[in-house]
Amino acid sequence: MKHKASLPYLLALPGLAVLVAILYPFLTGTWWSFTSYRLNRGDPEFNWGENFVTLFSSGEGLHAIGVTLTYAAVVVVIECLLGISLAMLLNYGRYGNFFRLLIVLPMLLPPVIAALMWKVMLTENGIANWILESLGGQRLLWLNGQDSALWSVILIDVWIFTPFVVLLAQAGLKSIPAELREASAVDGAGPIRNFVSVTLPMLTPILIVIVTFRGVDSLKMFDIIYTTTKGGPIDATTNLHVMAYLDGIRNLNFGMAMAALVVLWVLCYLISHFLLKARRKEATS
Amino acid sequence: MTAVLLQEDAAKRRRRRKNTKHAVVIAVLCAWSVFALAPIVWILLMSLKQPGDIASYPPKFFFSPTLANYAEVLSGPEFLTPFANSLIVTLGALALTLVIGLPTAYSLARFAFKGRENIAFGILSLRFAPELLIILPLYLIFQNVNLHDTYLGLILAYQLVTLPMLVWMLRSFIEDLPKELEEAVAIDGGTRWTAFRHVLFRLMAPGLGASLMLSFIWAWNNYTLPLVLSGRNTEVITTGIQQYISFQSIAWGPMAAATVISLIPGILFALLSLRWIVDGLTAGTVKG
Repeated sequence: MKHKASLPYLLALPGLAVLVAILYPFLTGTWWSFTSYRLNRGDPEFNWGENFVTLFSSGEGLHAIGVTLTYAAVVVVIECLLGISLAMLLNYGRYGNFFRLLIVLPMLLPPVIAALMWKVMLTENGIANWILESLGGQRLLWLNGQDSALWSVILIDVWIFTPFVVLLAQAGLKSIPAELREASAVDGAGPIRNFVSVTLPMLTPILIVIVTFRGVDSLKMFDIIYTTTKGGPIDATTNLHVMAYLDGIRNLNFGMAMAALVVLWVLCYLISHFLLKARRKEATS
Repeated sequence: MTAVLLQEDAAKRRRRRKNTKHAVVIAVLCAWSVFALAPIVWILLMSLKQPGDIASYPPKFFFSPTLANYAEVLSGPEFLTPFANSLIVTLGALALTLVIGLPTAYSLARFAFKGRENIAFGILSLRFAPELLIILPLYLIFQNVNLHDTYLGLILAYQLVTLPMLVWMLRSFIEDLPKELEEAVAIDGGTRWTAFRHVLFRLMAPGLGASLMLSFIWAWNNYTLPLVLSGRNTEVITTGIQQYISFQSIAWGPMAAATVISLIPGILFALLSLRWIVDGLTAGTVKG
């Protein structure tokens, strides 16, 4: 169909306009990250990247970076392992559609509200501790413990977002032709060999997508952490995103808050950039 | 004779092994389903309890249920106002996203033009940026232009959440539809606009439905944006529900009831059309 050269741009104009509009707060914020901007103390003043130096040299800054990376790495590994296993079981067994409905539900609920539900269950006299005691175990501090808080938050993340991996992995598994697996079985490959040499390579493109989305989303996790612990106890669960909120909204230190966000953004950008590039390479090869 | 018996035996054994395998698979799936549903069931039970039953330890599984918590939640503005605000903001954001996103997605799907992939990835990159990076500056900008704590301000800001995924989902749905259908309309003398209205739009209706539904869920579930950009006038459900715990003592019963009610959209969508949700999710993420 013929069209004027300008038509595609004209149609894409609304989307472009949004992109340009978002540049304004984005650039403003990036500028602030290089200033000593405090909301209650006058205008932003350029301070030669002092915020970034503070971030990378202070205990709190390094701790937040550590929490961010630990959280993301642990969450992605656990959710991928569980999600792919569950997807394979769903595809293998009977009643797949029924179980899928049950398994997917947590993903569709607001994460804050899901986190709130877990907070209720993980209180000192909550049902989780009752189950532990009935099984002969000891009560745990869960979200209130300096050592257990991060793991409790990770547990909630796994509960909410494993379904995301399940759904995408299922789609990926379905796209593998059955003949391939049969052929390798005829050649004498056992189930493990089959998984490693047939399923996994065929699943790689979708695995890249899963890791991109879950990786970025867990690097910038805010909802679950802020509703359950507000970054505490002390700073046990303070990642970069939560720290930026506390710095900015609570301490009105917009310079430091934006510096943390810029660092976080670079992390997210690098991951999504490399993985999406790998994905395109994978798709064309 | 013995050979035949042996063969039958082996077949039986194989069948039995297959049945055991299926049983194990179903047991594992059941176990995970219990894990997935237990918190939802527990909060549902809690919402039906009287204050005394909620606080008891060991927890009570059998109790005389009451609807008092729901009556309390549904009779005052503490819950109904955020619920209505959530509806207004979410639907408003969806309408705006559709107006912006549909032509953009169509253009990205149907034309090859310079800078196309850059625009597409520019839009997708919004999905990968930490929300506060945009929202903290937006907070001050909105205060200067009187958009803070207004529906319009929130609807504009929600584009950050709804637009990227809608554009990517729609783009991949449109790409999946054969171009020839539209070209046939053109041969019959129709314009691109008639082709879009009469052919493409109807064919993409399921995809559009899926995209809108997922966008609805994401907007409805969002927390960071309203946390910073809304105030007393526009508090939405995800921020409003926190009021039950920010009081000196936690109002467990009403909180549980409010939680259950705010879970309804997600559960409803899942029951009505999980297939669409899956289609939309794969369209927005896997393809492209």
